[in-house]
Amino acid sequence: MNRNASRILAALFGVLAVTLPFFAGDYPLQVARNIMMYMALAITWDMLLRSGQISFGIAGLFGIGAYSAILSVIRAGMPAWFSILFAAIFSGVVAFVIGFLILRLRAMYFSIVTLALGEIFRIIIHNLHDFTGGPEGVVIQKGVIFGGNANSLYWLVLAGLAVALAASFWFEKSKIHFALTAIRNNEISAQSSGIDIFRWLLLAFVVTSAIQGLLGGIFVQSYGFATPDAVFSADFTLLPLAMALLGGVYSTTGPIFGAILLGLASEWLKLKIPYGHLVVYGIIIVIVILFMPQGLRQLVRRTSHSADGRSA
Amino acid sequence: MVMKRRTAIIAALSIAAAVVLILWKPTVLIYGLQAAGLYAAVAIPMGLVLGIVHIVNLAHGEFMMVAAYAAYFGCKALGMDPLLAIIPTAIVTAVFGWVIFQLTIRRALKAPELNQLILTFGLAIAFTQTINLIFTSQTYKIPLDYVSASMDIGDLTFGVWSFVFVAVAIIFAYGVKFFLTKTMTGKAAVAVGQNPRGAAIVGIDVYRTYGLVFALALALVGAMGALFLTKSAIFPSVGSPFTMKSFCLIAMAGIGNIPGILGASVLLGVSENFLRAFRPTRDWAEIVFFVLIIAVILARSLKGRKS
Repeated sequence: MNRNASRILAALFGVLAVTLPFFAGDYPLQVARNIMMYMALAITWDMLLRSGQISFGIAGLFGIGAYSAILSVIRAGMPAWFSILFAAIFSGVVAFVIGFLILRLRAMYFSIVTLALGEIFRIIIHNLHDFTGGPEGVVIQKGVIFGGNANSLYWLVLAGLAVALAASFWFEKSKIHFALTAIRNNEISAQSSGIDIFRWLLLAFVVTSAIQGLLGGIFVQSYGFATPDAVFSADFTLLPLAMALLGGVYSTTGPIFGAILLGLASEWLKLKIPYGHLVVYGIIIVIVILFMPQGLRQLVRRTSHSADGRSA
Repeated sequence: MVMKRRTAIIAALSIAAAVVLILWKPTVLIYGLQAAGLYAAVAIPMGLVLGIVHIVNLAHGEFMMVAAYAAYFGCKALGMDPLLAIIPTAIVTAVFGWVIFQLTIRRALKAPELNQLILTFGLAIAFTQTINLIFTSQTYKIPLDYVSASMDIGDLTFGVWSFVFVAVAIIFAYGVKFFLTKTMTGKAAVAVGQNPRGAAIVGIDVYRTYGLVFALALALVGAMGALFLTKSAIFPSVGSPFTMKSFCLIAMAGIGNIPGILGASVLLGVSENFLRAFRPTRDWAEIVFFVLIIAVILARSLKGRKS
């Protein structure tokens, strides 16, 4: 694939994504919304991965965003659209604070701590009955965003995805790319080339967390309710991870294609197998790690022999 | 000398805490110890794998869940008591673990640590969801009379069956220690754990040892799976909390310190049950462990930077 062809393809995809509500029915629209949500999460997970840090805490920050959005509407009477921005800011601030503690950790210690933090957030929300509604959760009674119009909600999710895409391209095209890649490859040599490792990691962690919070806010506003089990669901960690791995990590395109493939496949499997269709995700993760650690992107590259594009 | 004084202080503090608890809330101590036994017995095999194969097996609890399902259906088919199923389940799980090891983990031993982490994470999901696929999320339980055996001391009544986990944990800890220090295979395993290349040079088959240690650990997990079935109902996600808890205990004890897991699990079990004993804090018991794990990891990383 040469560069022009891929640009045209990307433009076509973009037009298709924006105009989908005009010709697709309710069900395809719903599926597309789900896929875009997970796609955006997969991209943010990958953005942090580019620095070599694996986060298992996507669900935690997503849930924080979701609850800060819904509670700011219900308890503080914030307008719906502003609550989504608030969710992003709040998650970013939370990430900034915990980043100071945990970004000194490396490898599995970082991963395990992010997983544990996600659980801590869930338990706190679960137990603060009076403020958060406890295990039954909270429902938005009035002032549902866009009056619940399905097309507008679709564009809202698309906007969330666009934010994630823009951030990912920003990470890819600016000097952040070089800093994160250097940190991933070798921290000592990165440090000796004058890279302030902690600062770049903090930037990546805060930006990705803020977007995850934003998506949580969008999610909760478009469904109008939140329960701890729904918004802190392990799916929000697991699915994006599998999607990014399948498509190919350290890139923006990898998670996009991984999300489309896995999203459609799981939608189909959900209809066929009501229990345990997630087994596919587990098996895909295992196979990808064992046989194609670079994901499908590697296969495409190898077969097309293209020399263009930057190597990740 | 410094170390000795610190150990003495820790011992004195824990004895004081135990005495206070016995006088004030004896059930906290009793149920805390029982929970600790269960945690430790599950964590020890993981500690063995982590210490020698250097793999963080995120599918650890899921292996136990699979073993418990195998034990359940074995018992149902043959009308046998789960206690009799301990040995057969251990063997089956060891074989199963060995096969999984050869098929997947072995291939990732040279890969970056993160790949191993994601790989075992994928295995965990594959196990849970396969069981979910076959048996749905319904819970299964074998009703047993002896499990509800209880004991009275004064006006205090408590269940005694769970003390079996304490016994098993102690047997596991010292059995593993015996294996590693006294047997030829165990010594070879320690050598491989310390330096795989050096071990290979002196003629130890490194990959065979890895497979063997993994299978041995899985045998212990299998035994625990059958034993777990006596006490608890099983469902697809029943094992997952144990993965994290085991890892937490190992991180607290320090990798390679198998008997230390016993002490760490007492701390976790008793503090969880302490919160559970009071109405306002009951719901917060779950959080203890997550806070502990973060505190332990952060403390270790700070200490590591200082030295």
